[in-house]
Amino acid sequence: MTKGWVDCQIGDFRLEVDWSIEPGEVLALFGPSGAGKTTTLRAIAGLLRPQQGHIEIAGSPVYDDATRLWVPAHRRRVGYLAQQYHLFPHLNAAQNIGYGLRRWARTAAAERVGGLVRALQLDGLEERRPDELSGGQQQRVAIARALAPGPDVLLLDEPFAAMDVELRRVLRRELRSVLANSPIPVMLVTHDREETLAMADSVQVIDQGKAIAQGGPLETLGQPGQGRVARLVGVENLFHLTVESRNPQDGTMICAGGGLRIEVPLDEPAPTAAQGRTCGERVAVGIRASDIILAHQEPVGTSARNRLPGAVTSVEPSAPGYEVTLDCGQPLRCRITSASLEEMAIQPGSTLWAVFKASSCFIVQDPPQ
Amino acid sequence: MTPPSVRRILGEAGPGRGLGTTAAVLYTLFIALPVLALLVRAAQQESFLSSLVSDLALTALRLSVVTSLISMAVVIAVGTPFAYLLARSNSPVLRVLDSLVELPIVLPPVVAGVAMLMAFGRQGILGPPLESVGISLPFTTAAVVFAQIFVGVPFYVRAAKLGFQNVARDYEDVSQTLGVSPWWTFWRLTLPLSMPSLLTGLALAWARALSEFGATIMFAGNLTGKTQTMPLAIMTAMESSLDTALALSVMLMVGAVAILLALSFLVRRQYAGRS
Repeated sequence: MTKGWVDCQIGDFRLEVDWSIEPGEVLALFGPSGAGKTTTLRAIAGLLRPQQGHIEIAGSPVYDDATRLWVPAHRRRVGYLAQQYHLFPHLNAAQNIGYGLRRWARTAAAERVGGLVRALQLDGLEERRPDELSGGQQQRVAIARALAPGPDVLLLDEPFAAMDVELRRVLRRELRSVLANSPIPVMLVTHDREETLAMADSVQVIDQGKAIAQGGPLETLGQPGQGRVARLVGVENLFHLTVESRNPQDGTMICAGGGLRIEVPLDEPAPTAAQGRTCGERVAVGIRASDIILAHQEPVGTSARNRLPGAVTSVEPSAPGYEVTLDCGQPLRCRITSASLEEMAIQPGSTLWAVFKASSCFIVQDPPQ
Repeated sequence: MTPPSVRRILGEAGPGRGLGTTAAVLYTLFIALPVLALLVRAAQQESFLSSLVSDLALTALRLSVVTSLISMAVVIAVGTPFAYLLARSNSPVLRVLDSLVELPIVLPPVVAGVAMLMAFGRQGILGPPLESVGISLPFTTAAVVFAQIFVGVPFYVRAAKLGFQNVARDYEDVSQTLGVSPWWTFWRLTLPLSMPSLLTGLALAWARALSEFGATIMFAGNLTGKTQTMPLAIMTAMESSLDTALALSVMLMVGAVAILLALSFLVRRQYAGRS
């Protein structure tokens, strides 16, 4: 088990997080830049010493403020992969991969490098210098170099941030397949929701130095239960509404406010209110822009519980596609592809219907600010 | 109309190109003329070759080579760790030191010589205690080395510091996470990556040490075979034998040009490696 907690003060910034990763598990530290993700990673790698904390790698402590234990970075057996791969420019690909094998016997080291070259499909590139490799090849060399000494944990600091979207998907898939066959626990730092969903087995959301949510990636980031998390994840629509009526049979309830009236899933009873939410109570509801369908006429014979007419107030490019905002009492942001935009000839001023399932809506714990 | 070939050499027309061209010609002549004159006059001397191997010339050459090599060894041994510290530390004390590193470059060498006498001379601050243990520095070969280190070391430290700063901290971090200790990281990573800068700085420091005159004559004197390096021998020979002075001058100049060529080669290789 690789686990620990750190508490460190850097200027005005206070970082307090704890984590634990099972062998073979990928844990994503998700949060905005400046949240303390990289600081946490550097503390685990031994590149930064927190004031307080306890860090264990593969079951053995490497830092403990109480016993004044501090294992320096080069004795920690961590693999560390940063955003810039920092391949050593004076060494070729094979020498980069073998860099951490200094203490190995020559033949064993050569065998290890050869095995990684084959596993990461770098055959024929061994003699190339880093600047003679493509971005994807550089990343594979960097992964191989980090894996070569047999680390007990792999730390990935936004490893794809410098790549374009297409390459990012390819590399993510490659890295995922390399990691799938290894029992090494992985901690991945990212601010990219898609990356977290694609890579992580579990996620911990960090904001302003504090862990504010954790769990499976889909539950935690797909329909975040907290307002702060929802905003970090980029939930485009967040409404503060009042419960009008409840329908326990269907498991839904009607909420309204500011001219908007929608059907949403019945929330789980809060511990403080054993009877569930009473009518008239305020709730925050989130809907992702990509979960909304747009139509010219009111759809008939559909199972979707929410069908709202509204005038288009703005059409903004939002890669990959467009974000259309409808005035449905409150502004409702919907995401569509450019093909749909053209086919439907959507322009500001035209009236459209927004259609979405009740289950696409989710209740968010968001105390009014 | 300017022919295309000429335009290619001079570059596209721009404001002040005429002025620039004139300045370039004057500049080149001003530098090249004395250099050529030295070579031509030396070649005209009948006894030039025998002067090259004269006692005075060979003794001075041997002394210059030996003292400057010792100086460079000290410069490397002390300058390298100091430059690394300057490149990596943010301490305010080092900031102040950093701004003082270049002081010997702007200090007139004669002043440096006087200052060293005041420190290590008979009436200097450290003179009496040194003398009490039987050490007298002024007017010895050691004093020559002292003077060369004093004037040469800033060139090396400055270049080495920039070289180390150009090696991003992240490389060293990655190296350590790969199980390589800070000490080995320096040898296997930081040193090779900053080598072009270190060599450039060393070449400059060496050239400066070889040409050192003012501080040497003040602090070490002009004793044949003991403190009379090549620049001092040239000065001495000018009074008796122009042949020997010219021979020594040509030798020093060839050395300087060799260092210059080596330097430009290194800098080119450095940029080729970075692109």
